[in-house]
Amino acid sequence: MSAIEIRNLSYQYPTGSEEVLHNLNLTIESGKFYALAGVNGGGKTTLCNVIRGFIPHFFKGERTGKVLIEGKDVQDWDPSDLAQKVGFVFQNPFTQISGVKETVFDEIAFGLENLGVEVDVIRQRVQDIIGLLGIGYIQDKNPNELSGGQKQRVALASIIVMEPDILIFDEPTSQLDPQGTEEIFRVIDIMKKKGKTIILVEHKIELIAEYADYVIVLQDGEIKKQGRTEEVLADEATQDFGLGLTQYTLLDLAMRKQHMHTERIPITEGDSVSVMKQWMEFQGVKA
Amino acid sequence: MKNFKKDFTLISILLIPIGVAVNVVAGELVEILKIPLFLNQIGTMIVAMVAGPWVGAVTGGVSKLIFGIFNPTQLAFMPVAMASGIVVGLMAKKGFTKNAWKTAFTGFIVALVAILIATPTTVIVFGGASGTGSDTITAVLLASGKEIWASVFTQKIFVESIDKILSIMVAYMIVRKMSDQYLSKQKYGHLYLNMNQNKHNRKIGA
Amino acid sequence: MERPGKFILNLYPTTKFLFAFCLMMTPLLLPGYLYSYMVPVLCLVIALIAGKTKLYVNFVLKGLVPIVVMIFLLQSFFYPGDTVLWSWSIFSIKQEGIHFSLQLTSKILAIGSSIVLFFQITKINDLSRALELMGISPKATYVLSAALNIIPEMRLQLLRIMDAQKTRGVETEGSLTIRMKAFVPALTPLILSSFSSTDEKAITLESRAFTARTKKTSLHHLEKTKSDHVVRALLVIAVVSILIGRFFL
Repeated sequence: MSAIEIRNLSYQYPTGSEEVLHNLNLTIESGKFYALAGVNGGGKTTLCNVIRGFIPHFFKGERTGKVLIEGKDVQDWDPSDLAQKVGFVFQNPFTQISGVKETVFDEIAFGLENLGVEVDVIRQRVQDIIGLLGIGYIQDKNPNELSGGQKQRVALASIIVMEPDILIFDEPTSQLDPQGTEEIFRVIDIMKKKGKTIILVEHKIELIAEYADYVIVLQDGEIKKQGRTEEVLADEATQDFGLGLTQYTLLDLAMRKQHMHTERIPITEGDSVSVMKQWMEFQGVKA
Repeated sequence: MKNFKKDFTLISILLIPIGVAVNVVAGELVEILKIPLFLNQIGTMIVAMVAGPWVGAVTGGVSKLIFGIFNPTQLAFMPVAMASGIVVGLMAKKGFTKNAWKTAFTGFIVALVAILIATPTTVIVFGGASGTGSDTITAVLLASGKEIWASVFTQKIFVESIDKILSIMVAYMIVRKMSDQYLSKQKYGHLYLNMNQNKHNRKIGA
Repeated sequence: MERPGKFILNLYPTTKFLFAFCLMMTPLLLPGYLYSYMVPVLCLVIALIAGKTKLYVNFVLKGLVPIVVMIFLLQSFFYPGDTVLWSWSIFSIKQEGIHFSLQLTSKILAIGSSIVLFFQITKINDLSRALELMGISPKATYVLSAALNIIPEMRLQLLRIMDAQKTRGVETEGSLTIRMKAFVPALTPLILSSFSSTDEKAITLESRAFTARTKKTSLHHLEKTKSDHVVRALLVIAVVSILIGRFFL
């Protein structure tokens, strides 16, 4: 079943003369993990904003075509239903706190309060999320006083506590250190295992290779390439769109140039190990 | 009333707390630097310029409410701050904040309105005093034989005209520095688009 | 029995407001200025019990005392009158001016100190919640709470910018022109960066269903207790007896 259907979508900012998105067609399957990749300025963030309905609701400009979520155009959704259906986390940790709550616990509860969820239920759900993310040690702190990584985890908690089916992550870790990145991805992985539909804008290719089911490469507002992650990231031509390949893939491709043909091109560490093992056994080398 | 409500979009509403905080912090900076002016409505003016007179008025009003927590006499001047927001917003809609000279003229009108509202407040509520250094002007005028209304009125001319015109010039400079992409998201941001050639070629974000 | 300080601080925000409002209004009902001058003292006692003396005294001294002193200076010298109490050269202090100043400043002090007290014993978040329960739009209370939340953040940022500029040689001391010149460069980046956050903030709030039309709930529990009813009853009795004493006896 498809979660999101995008048909002939084009969009132009009010200040720009060119289209930022150009006649896009895309189907997002329910329960799958999609990585949006490509050079900066290619339209990734704009596409996320369109899917969540922020464009053209907040950010004017002309949108044509259709963005259907469960068959209904995102512009026709009721704002509170949409907030429960599609969660949205973006890169800046500092603007993703409500700015009116005094503790992390209350901050995470904010969305549920707005939805009118009963107080006892809110407490339980917030407590559960805090446990899931392991942020109990900051739950009584003022959100303003947290580090960037902590703020971002609180932002994430504040969204997933609303239990949306679809999650959009727009470069959620670009301002975080490796440790912060790892913690965010641990949570994203949990969400994937829970069967959520995930759209992730990400530059770190190793992370895409590790987690995504599908990769969509966007450039100049057009989809230049899309397909299963192991296909897109194993294709040398993908590099033409400003997307790097993982070191495992690069090694394999280099080997092929030396006529050392492995059975398939690996994209992750685990992948690489098993492919190598197989190749060595085939060559008669004992591991 | 319909127009009034239409101006209060979520983005406009979110400008209000920022405008208020700018007013407060600018007011504090003036004290730190010991500048003998108030300059505590710059936030109100910026908000009025990009989000219209009513959002500007609310920004001015809430600012005075917050100032009132620390200094309750400020509450009496809430109408002055609200009127400043309204005047700037109305003038902006008519294009009177598009270049420096027009903006200065707007500042002059704001000052005029401020003088007209602040004078009776000061005379009736505070017996002509304001509790600041500018009371010396009032005292000198009173000593020279002027009566209280004329003295306070003259003092307000000195204080308000410099203060309001300087404030709006700072506000104008800041709005000019805002990116087209940002302005295009504001209700009345289109008034200031393409004012600056350097900005014109800036890459529109993804 | 709870501590008296707790008793005051735990009252419902509107009870505190009614109390402050009565303190403000009764001076207008009672003749003379003696009672009015008692109000700041009474407020001080309450601030003392509630443990808010320092801020109360600070704001009264900074906000109210200067204007009261100026009123005395201006009015006692320049209020039209014939009963000269003291004179030097062309200046003379007149009885009428002193009387006028006493009347006016007593009211200003009474109203001003009640307001200072109210904001010292009332948390803005409590007040916001009480207003929401009264039917005020959550957007309005958001504006109030958010403004108070941003101010300390912005202050810190301003200090950071000023430090950075000092190291780059921007003077912040010296003649008025130098100080004025320091104002704009310190403020501009702060204002621009603060305003630029609003569109992402809108996305944040929208993602958290802020504009949902459902009736919101709140973890912030606020409830009128027996103490509120007692205080309100006492206030009614006080006001009624003042009215009777003033107009019927």
